Amino acid sequence: MRKVIWLARREYKAAVRTKGFIIGLVLAPILMGGSAIGMALFKDRVDTTDQRLAIVDRSGLVAEALVEAAEERNATNVFDKETGEKIRPAYEIEIVEPDAANPMAQRLELSNGVRDGQLHAFVEIGPSVLHPGEDPEGYRIAYYSKNAALDDLRRWLVRPINNNLRRQRLAGAGIDESAVKDLFTWVDVEGFGLVAVDPETGEVLDARQSHEGEAVGIPLIMTMLMFLMIMMGAVPLLQSVMEEKSQRIAEVLLGSIKPFQFMMGKLLGGVAVSLTSAAVYVIGGIIALRHMGLGEYIPYHLIPWFFAFMLLAIVMIGSMLAALGATCNDTKEAQSLTLPAMLPVLLPMFVLVPVVEAPLAPFATGLSLFPLFTPMLMLLRLSTPAGVPVWQPWIGLVGILLFTLFFVWAGGRIFRVAILMQGTPPRLSNILRWALRG
Amino acid sequence: MAVIELENVTKTFGSTIAVNDLSLSVPQGSIYGFIGPNGSGKTTTLRMIMNIFYPDKGSIRVFGEEVHGACTYRIGYLPEERGLYKNMKVREVLKFYGGLKSGKDVSSEVERWLERLDLSDWANKKVHSLSKGMSQKVQFIASVVSQPELLILDEPFTGLDPVNADILRTAVLDLQSKGTTVIFSTHDMSVAERMCDFIFMIFKGRKVLNGTLASIQDEYGYDTIRIRTGDGASVLKDLRGVEKINDFGQVQELRITRDCDPHQVLTEIMKKTRINSFEISKPSLHDIFLRIAGPEAREVNDA
Repeated sequence: MRKVIWLARREYKAAVRTKGFIIGLVLAPILMGGSAIGMALFKDRVDTTDQRLAIVDRSGLVAEALVEAAEERNATNVFDKETGEKIRPAYEIEIVEPDAANPMAQRLELSNGVRDGQLHAFVEIGPSVLHPGEDPEGYRIAYYSKNAALDDLRRWLVRPINNNLRRQRLAGAGIDESAVKDLFTWVDVEGFGLVAVDPETGEVLDARQSHEGEAVGIPLIMTMLMFLMIMMGAVPLLQSVMEEKSQRIAEVLLGSIKPFQFMMGKLLGGVAVSLTSAAVYVIGGIIALRHMGLGEYIPYHLIPWFFAFMLLAIVMIGSMLAALGATCNDTKEAQSLTLPAMLPVLLPMFVLVPVVEAPLAPFATGLSLFPLFTPMLMLLRLSTPAGVPVWQPWIGLVGILLFTLFFVWAGGRIFRVAILMQGTPPRLSNILRWALRG
Repeated sequence: MAVIELENVTKTFGSTIAVNDLSLSVPQGSIYGFIGPNGSGKTTTLRMIMNIFYPDKGSIRVFGEEVHGACTYRIGYLPEERGLYKNMKVREVLKFYGGLKSGKDVSSEVERWLERLDLSDWANKKVHSLSKGMSQKVQFIASVVSQPELLILDEPFTGLDPVNADILRTAVLDLQSKGTTVIFSTHDMSVAERMCDFIFMIFKGRKVLNGTLASIQDEYGYDTIRIRTGDGASVLKDLRGVEKINDFGQVQELRITRDCDPHQVLTEIMKKTRINSFEISKPSLHDIFLRIAGPEAREVNDA
């Protein structure tokens, strides 16, 4: 064990003392969370240039009301009430008489207007929009712009048009709108967790309001952190073992230690590197969140699971990567093996969204109980507000433990044979033979 | 007492027999030289003694015990290919290797050896800045800082200039005088002749020579005339009783048949040219090596 620790210490120092490690420590979360941070920072950076919309109202019922709604919006929502600063574009509505004879020519003309920049967009209201019949062409509201799918003006149009249509339908039915004052009041559905009993006091606790950040943000951050730790602790082993083999350091080391000790020393070094980074991120994250007054959202109960899964994941995946590194003779061979070797870490990344949306579905449960995916997917499911049945993470842990033992055993056998073998390419048949025969 | 005992050891790689039924006993405190052509099984044998390779058959005992585990702190090992962490400093890498082997702080030994091999000024330099010869000296220090009782050196003098080769040779002899048993492989026959108490030759995985230089040479007897003449090798052709001529330019070595009298050969030469000097001797190790593993022998073996 002393020799394993001695080697691990060198590995750790060699990794941590480099500038690359420090830079990586800072850059990795920035790169990974960069888009989220960027979106948060720049969400108020909207284009405040006024937008001109042409409306071709074939129903003759909507245009006037839309002009009024736009004027009302322009008066109240465009400028910041306190600072007077313009924060949104004003909407200018221009009513265009429909060309019944040649609608396509009119659409082309208006489209060219959008292309020339005279218009931001134009909208065409179908003739039977008040009482949509069988023909969808008759009641369609078509919005034409350069980027219609992601257009705020299109999204804004929905409510004033529909409110106006409802108003007219009520009037048509002879109902006085003023008799139902809150007719158009819109009430959102808010998400809550479940009511529970405090195990200590026996008191019934109020359910906590559920936020998107908590439901999606925390699980994703935890999983990304796990991904990052495996990338830092386990994945570099492939390259590093290959280098030690090709630079003949391996033989010098094998003059002092057994191949298994060699592999374990490398693994332990990787674990130590990841532990250091994880400690920095976890402690830093806790301090930062508490400082920001978001302490209540810190999932303290997940931290032991995170570290348990992380340690086993690095040993499990790292032992296989170290063994594969031992089979490679040069960088080219190592590069060709890196991608398949990283699949246990990459595949869970592709199913993050379905798992986080339905963490209790059989799909999510099944995948998270497959030991190679457990570290990331079980952690992801554990991090969701829904949680998972108590037995599942334990079963997951036993699964990883068994896989880890198997991988260390098989990896050790491959490592022992391959580390001094020069010139034999890392074919699957060779790797399997070495694992089986030792 | 024998430090190393190999009994009927065989090692194969696929269909290739690298070492075939090899037995060997290395006495304590001796310098044992391993010679043999490339690919004859020297390195495989040394790696098996280090327990880096496991024999398929036979037994290997080191310090009287069956070899288990990679090897003990009592053995220092210099592999054929040098392997040093290029980004580490010389002093750091030596402390690392010494500590890994012995579990002790080897700082004072590191300093002593750095000074002795004239590397003190390079102690804080990174390994990648060293020349090949310097790297080799550093690798040698790495194998001795743990003060091993048995030192295994796989071609320690290859690539060294005469000055550094001499420094290393003196260091090895010094270690032997303090009781260290040394095994080294070499292609330099003169080094083996001068340094080794025992010489062991392996060819195609089999032991072909084993013993002191004198005992090996005795097997061949006084069958060599080393001669320097006024006309070089040209006048030495077609002499009766001469089996082979090794022409070294200024000096020629004549191998004579067992039934031939060397004096008759010399008399015949004197008839043709002037003899500047001559010596009737046993064959050199170089010649013995060639007799066993040279092209001639291969032709005989392959026939």
